[in-house]
This record gives sequence, C-alpha cells and structure tokens, in this order.
Amino acid sequence: MSELYLFAHIAGTPVAVRTDEVQAVVKISEISPVPAVPVQVAGLAALRSRVLTVIDVAALIDPKLADAENRSYAIVCDISGHIYGMLVDKVSDIRAVSEPALPLHGKTDAAWAHYAEGVIENDGEAHLLVSLRNFIENSAIGLAA
Amino acid sequence: MDELLGEFIAETQETLEALSSIIVAWEADPCDRDRLDSVFRFFHTVKGSCGFLNLPRFERLSHAAEDVLSKVREGNLTPNPATISAVLSVMDRIAELCSALAAGTTPPLENDDFLIEALRHSQTPEGQAESEAEVSNPAAVADQKGKATAGPRTIRLPLSLIDQLMNGVSDMVLSRNELSRKLRDRESDPELEIAFERLSSCIADMRDTISKTRMQRVERLFMAIPRMVRDLSRDLGKNIELTLEGGDVEMDREMVEMVVDPLTHIVRNSIDHGIEMPTDRIAAGKSETGHLRLSARQSGSHILIEVVDDGRGINVDAVVRKIISTGVMTEQEVARLSEQERLDLIFSPGLSTAQQVTSISGRGVGMDVVRANVERVGGIITLTNEPGQGLTITMRVPLTLTIIPGLILRAGGQLFAIPRSSVIEILHDNNSTIDISRLGGADVATIRGVRHSMVDLETVIGLEKAVQSTPRTIMVVRSVSGMPYALAVSNVENHEELVIRPAAPIIMSSGIFAGMTLPDNGQPMLLLDAGGIAQAAQLPLDQTRRENLAANDLGSEADRGERHSALQFIELSGIERLIRLSLVERVEDVPIDAFGCIASQPYARIEGRLLPCVYSVTPEIAGQEDSITCLRIRDGLREVCYPVRTICDIFEISDDLDMAAPNGHVAGLAIVDGRQIEVVDNFALFASIPDIEITTEQSMRCVIVDGDDNWNREILMPLLAQAGYDVAIGATPTQNDIVLRMGSDKNDPPIAIDPQIPLVRLRPNSKPTGVGDNSIYRYDRAGLLQAIATVSKGRKSA
Repeated sequence: MSELYLFAHIAGTPVAVRTDEVQAVVKISEISPVPAVPVQVAGLAALRSRVLTVIDVAALIDPKLADAENRSYAIVCDISGHIYGMLVDKVSDIRAVSEPALPLHGKTDAAWAHYAEGVIENDGEAHLLVSLRNFIENSAIGLAA
Repeated sequence: MDELLGEFIAETQETLEALSSIIVAWEADPCDRDRLDSVFRFFHTVKGSCGFLNLPRFERLSHAAEDVLSKVREGNLTPNPATISAVLSVMDRIAELCSALAAGTTPPLENDDFLIEALRHSQTPEGQAESEAEVSNPAAVADQKGKATAGPRTIRLPLSLIDQLMNGVSDMVLSRNELSRKLRDRESDPELEIAFERLSSCIADMRDTISKTRMQRVERLFMAIPRMVRDLSRDLGKNIELTLEGGDVEMDREMVEMVVDPLTHIVRNSIDHGIEMPTDRIAAGKSETGHLRLSARQSGSHILIEVVDDGRGINVDAVVRKIISTGVMTEQEVARLSEQERLDLIFSPGLSTAQQVTSISGRGVGMDVVRANVERVGGIITLTNEPGQGLTITMRVPLTLTIIPGLILRAGGQLFAIPRSSVIEILHDNNSTIDISRLGGADVATIRGVRHSMVDLETVIGLEKAVQSTPRTIMVVRSVSGMPYALAVSNVENHEELVIRPAAPIIMSSGIFAGMTLPDNGQPMLLLDAGGIAQAAQLPLDQTRRENLAANDLGSEADRGERHSALQFIELSGIERLIRLSLVERVEDVPIDAFGCIASQPYARIEGRLLPCVYSVTPEIAGQEDSITCLRIRDGLREVCYPVRTICDIFEISDDLDMAAPNGHVAGLAIVDGRQIEVVDNFALFASIPDIEITTEQSMRCVIVDGDDNWNREILMPLLAQAGYDVAIGATPTQNDIVLRMGSDKNDPPIAIDPQIPLVRLRPNSKPTGVGDNSIYRYDRAGLLQAIATVSKGRKSA
C-alpha cells in the first residue's frame, strides 16, 4: 500500500511528512513576533482570515539555528484544533512511496530523537519520517533534553 | 433511515440531559405536575419513535417507565425514592444505548429485565393491582405535545457548519476593510460611499447574529449537577443542599463543553472529600446538611464559575506531608513556600489526600487534570481554603471565539490588543492627576488620590522599552481579583471590534495572553490577559488590600480606625518618613566621630554607651555636618538610634496605612497633606537589630587578673570591651567586679582574691579536664558572654 509523502528539509536534514497531516504549503511573507514564548515560536502570520502560529522547527532541533526571517516556506497543519505553520528550509517533492517506513539505524541525534519515527527512501535518498504533531506535542520534552 | 436514527439519538440525548435536573426536583416535590409531565412525555416520545425505528430494547424500557409514571399521573401511585431511582436507572440505560447507537458499537449486553423488575417492585401494592391495564391517557398526551411545539422552533446544526459561517464572516470583514482602505485612497464618490456604508452595516449585523449562534446559557453546564449530587450524596449517606445560581449567563458553546469535566470533578471532590458525614458535621458544630453552591457570573471578558462548599476544606498539612512522602519536593523546599503556594500543591500530579480510594474519587486522577483542562481553554483556577469551614474553587474562563471591543496598543515596538472591558481608564503619564513614585523597587501610580500597583508591559513580556518623545500611556486595568492596577505601555493606537480566537497552547502557556486576533490591518496580534499580566508581574492584588482601597475611596475617616501622632523626618539619604511619636524618647545631636560599625552592625556612642544604629553613618552621607541629629527610639527594653537629617513636623495619622507594602524598615504609605510618605515599621526596626546586648550596666566591671598574658590583653580584653563591659586588666578586683582567670587553681598567680567575688574561669582546651571542671573554653564566645551575664544577673537580684 503506497502512501503519499511531502519531502522537505528542516535544519539541513531531509525529512518526509505524511501528506494527510499537511493542509497546504505556503509562502509566509510577514510574521508578527510574539514575546514571552519559547524560542521555536517564530510568531503569528495571517493566512486569509486564519491566523497561523508559526513554528521555526529548526530552532526546536537546535536553538542556534533559529532564523525565521530567512525561511519563507511553511507547511500548514491543524493540530488539536490549532493551525500551525511549520517553517522549513525548502520543500522538494510530493510523492507516493510504496515501501513502508524503515526503522532508524544508528543512534539518532538527541535533538531529533523525539521527532523521528522512521526512514523513508525517495530516489535513493533517505529521509527522516517525522510527524508534525510531535513538533508541537513533544517539544517540551525535546527542549528539556 | 440513518438520518431519522441520527435525529432520534440527538433528540433523546438532549432531552435526557435536560431531564436529569428536572427529575431530581420532582423527587423533592412529587406533586409537581409539570415536572412529572416532562418526564412522562420523554418516555412516551421515546416509545413512539423507537417502535417506528425498530429498537425493541428502547421500547420495552420506555414502556415500563411510562407505565409507572402514568399511574403516578392518575394519582394511583405515590412515588417513593425507590421509584425515582428505578426511573433514573432506566433513563441511564437509555442513555447508554443511545451513545452505543451513535458510536455504532454494540450496545451493552445487560439484562433490561432487571431494571424493569425494579420498576415494578418499587410500586405500592395498589399500583401493582392495576399494572395490567394500559392506562395511558391519549387526550392528555396530545395536549402535552401541543404545548411542547408551542415554544420557539429550532433546528439542529453541526458545530462545524457554524464555524465555517463564522470564518466566512471574518473573511468578509477583512475584505470589507481592504475595500475601505482602497476607497480612502481614491477621490471621494458619495454614491459609492453610501453603498459601501450599507454593505458595512449589513456585515456588522451579520457578524453579531452569527456570534450569537455560538452562545449558550450556562444552565446547560449545570444541568447534570443536581442528578449527580443526588446520587453521590445517597451513596455516601450525606445530606447535601445544592444551590445553583446564574444559569442565565451566556457563554461560548465550546467553552461550556470544555468546562463540564473539570466542574464535574470539582463537585465530586466537594461531596466526597469536602462535605463531612452528618454525624461529623454535628460534632463540628455545623448544620447536619452540607451546603454546596454553584454560581456563574460574567466579569468582563471572563465567566467566573464558583463552587462553594461548607465542608472541612483542604488539610494543607496533609497535602504537604503527601508531597514530601512522594518525593516531589523536599521538606526544605516546602518550607520556603507561602501559604497559598502550599495550598496550590493540591494541583500536583498524582496527589490524593483521601485516606482510601472510593468509587467516587481518589483514583489518582486529581486536581492536576482539572487545572490542566481549565488552563487549556485559557482559564484560571483558584482556591480559597478555610480549614474546617469550607472551600471555594473559582474557575475563570474566557468567553473566547467571540467578537469583543478591543484596544490596540503598542509596547516595545510591537502591537497588542486588550479587551476594552478590562480597561477602566487611560491617561498619559504627564497628566497632572497622576503621580508615579517608586517604593522599594515597586512602581506605584497615584491617580486622584487612589494608589495602584503599576507595571510596565515591556517588563512583563521581556521586551526593550522603546525610546519615545511622546508621553507614555498608563492604562488602569482590572485584575482577576477585581482590583485595578496600572499598566504602562508606549501608546494606545486604535480601538476596534476584534474577533478573538484561542491561541495555540504553546503561546497560552506564557499565561499573559488570552487569545489572538486578526484586526482590520490584517496583521495578527495577541490579546493580552490583564489578570495574567498582574500574576506574571506578581503584583500584590489580594482581597484584603482591595478592602483597604475601598475604605480609602469612601474617604470616611471615621471607619479608618485609631489615629496617632507621627513624627515626620528626612533621612540622611533624603527620603521622607514618618515614625510613631510615642516611641521617640528624645532627639539628640551626636558628633560624627561617635558613629561606628561592629561586624556590619552600625552603632552610635551616646553618653558612654553603644546604641545600635538603624543604618550606618559614613562621612559621605553625613556631608559637611560635624554632628548628626539622632532619634532615640525605645521599645521599653532596648534602644535604637535613628540618624536623620532634619525633623520636619508632627502629624495625626491613622493607624491603618493608606497602602500596606511591607519592605525592610518601611510598613507602607500614609497620605499626609496630599503627599505620600513612607511609614517606618517599628516592629521590623527592632526585630532587625541583633539580640546581643551592646549596652550594659555601668557598674559591672570585668577584671582580668593576669595582666601580663598576651592573649588576655590582645584577645580577651577587646572581646569584653566590644560586648560593652568595662575591663580592667591586672587590677585588684572589688566587690562589684567579675574576675576572669585562665587555667586551674594551681597556676593561680599569687594575688589574694576575695572568694565572695564571682569568678569565671577559662581553659585553653576545648575539652574539660574532668567532671568538676566548670571552666569555659576560651574561644567559646557565646559561653563566655553567657557566663558573665549570668553572674551579673545573679548579682543584681541578690
């Protein structure tokens, strides 16, 4: 059974996202900053009448990589009734992959360990399979680690 | 068919919900015909519909219940508690079957006969005799049905459809705003403008109407409570009187759903753990019946839901013990907490103070879950505990997803919104009616004689204060306790109707935002939570101070307690203060070289004695003066010296401070002639000086016998001098002296000493040489001073 994946790069790492989690990929033009929140929250952005909470995922992986201004593409998703925009470095492909996710090999970097679920092969390149939900729900654990 | 079934389920569930409160009321008053009719009508409707839908289990159950109820209606049967319980369990079974049907799962396979049997048995014998006859009264039923349809007609809509409508309206508002901006850039065209105005007002009306579709009366939240209280109190053998208030307050439909679970949990806890057994209540001198009060009211943009019981309250010590035993916190950590923080430990995960697990509560799912649920919707939960007297739990939840009038303000270069309802007043900081002062690091804004805690928004949210040429804006806003405080921002930009949506949990967790909004400029911004900001800034806004303030507002001097004379003076640092005049024994000029410091405790040498000084006097702060004016303050036993620059005046001030703000030696502020002056905290003043007596009786002299010994001369003598004793070295002791001598009798120097003179013997080693050795180790400072003090006391009393 093949499944559709969105392939993108986050913090320089190739990742795959199940498309049923993805509502859209949009170019974010203007982000209103939000004070007094964790570093990965880049701010708020308007998408027509909806307001996205923009998450700079790279900052979640490594706070030093926070650079929301230079990341303009965001994956829009709905997690527990809230709409988020997950900033990515770039989006490369959307494709159906017939093989199931492979298990992780080697010791995954601690920063990724809370988010990676497996490995998806696309065109001979390995992508970390991530769930967008984990970026929101596991972020507290991730930062504590 | 599916559609019909869905409608049947939805309708049945809704009616069941509405009925659960009615049936309890009916139990209290079985003669209440209206309530009986509503219950009867429910079973009759269910029976009718399920026959058609082919749901035999529903039919049997409802038929049996209808049977019994119809007898009650005809007066052939008086309902007793057993009847009611049986009817209720039939209703519960119907609810179970309904949810199973709705979820598409297999209905629970329990035998309905048991329930039906229970119904039959609950009847009195006379009723049983007639149970064979079908005694439904068709005329009456038709009549009831006619009545039921007379109410406003309603249809059922999925919530998602309303959400879509809401979003559509928001989109429409945004595009109207865009159009409005474009129109402004063009040449004015009156006809076009009139058309646009019409469109605008249509959209505004529509937005109002749509937002109303989401509102629901809080009554719905309370609907299940009477039934629950009835069942629980019966199970536990407690008597509880329930009062529900404020059911007509409206709140967002979604919010109602989010609050049901926490509320249910709190009520369960109150009944299970809070309210005592009737015998315990009588023993505690309370009425046998426990009281439980639920109330809802709107406060600004929030709904306050209060659960008040008169039970035993929370045993904070038990909570603390439990916390320590589970290892969440150590004893030391707990000791540092304030009383309120200790009480809040009840919200720690996995905590249950119940002695045993009961079927009702105490399963480890506790207040932590309740708090998490309330906070998830941007609410706040607070406890007011009166051990032995009861507990009040207040849930404060926002009316989110509504359109509220808001103010847009700028702080630290960013834009924020705040509900207009939480803002009382807006002023510029250069306004003559406002006076901003700093007291112990805290900002205080006095606006027309009323003092408010003040905080800069930038400080709370961690932004840089932007440099600006225009005056800053001070907003007086309401806090959670209802007591206003002053919030300073760069400026207020605009006011607008704002569509508020809940913000993502990661943003809400900061506690200072209430939601987010997309105003007309299309730039998303966050809605500030005035109460959350006060909490984040840790402003002291509790109830007692509010009363203090209220009394001040009234300006009724008679209510303000006793008055006393206070001396106004200016400290060397230039600060103006007041002190209770009766404590000031005298005022004296002390030469500058009489001030000194011992081990960081400043002192002044006055009349040959050392008096502790409130603060140290150094040449820098003394300036050119040769002598410093000092207040000599006495608490009856001890005396303190308070150096001042000048003494100004004497006023009559009230014993109640205008603002209590204990900080160091300052108790708070008093208003004198329209100015606020710090009042000295006399208690803190004396409490802060060291307990060691620096002064002593003049007549007491310590004689060190061996004047040649270096240790005696260089170490012992200064120590005694410092402790305030006169020291004579190598002198011949007289009757009034104390003799200090090193070593044992054998190495006594050949000086004849009157054995009547008290002797304190010192030894060079820390360990005593034998049992009879009552000498003191020479480096045991406390022991040595104690021994001398004991001797001198003995002398005085003799």
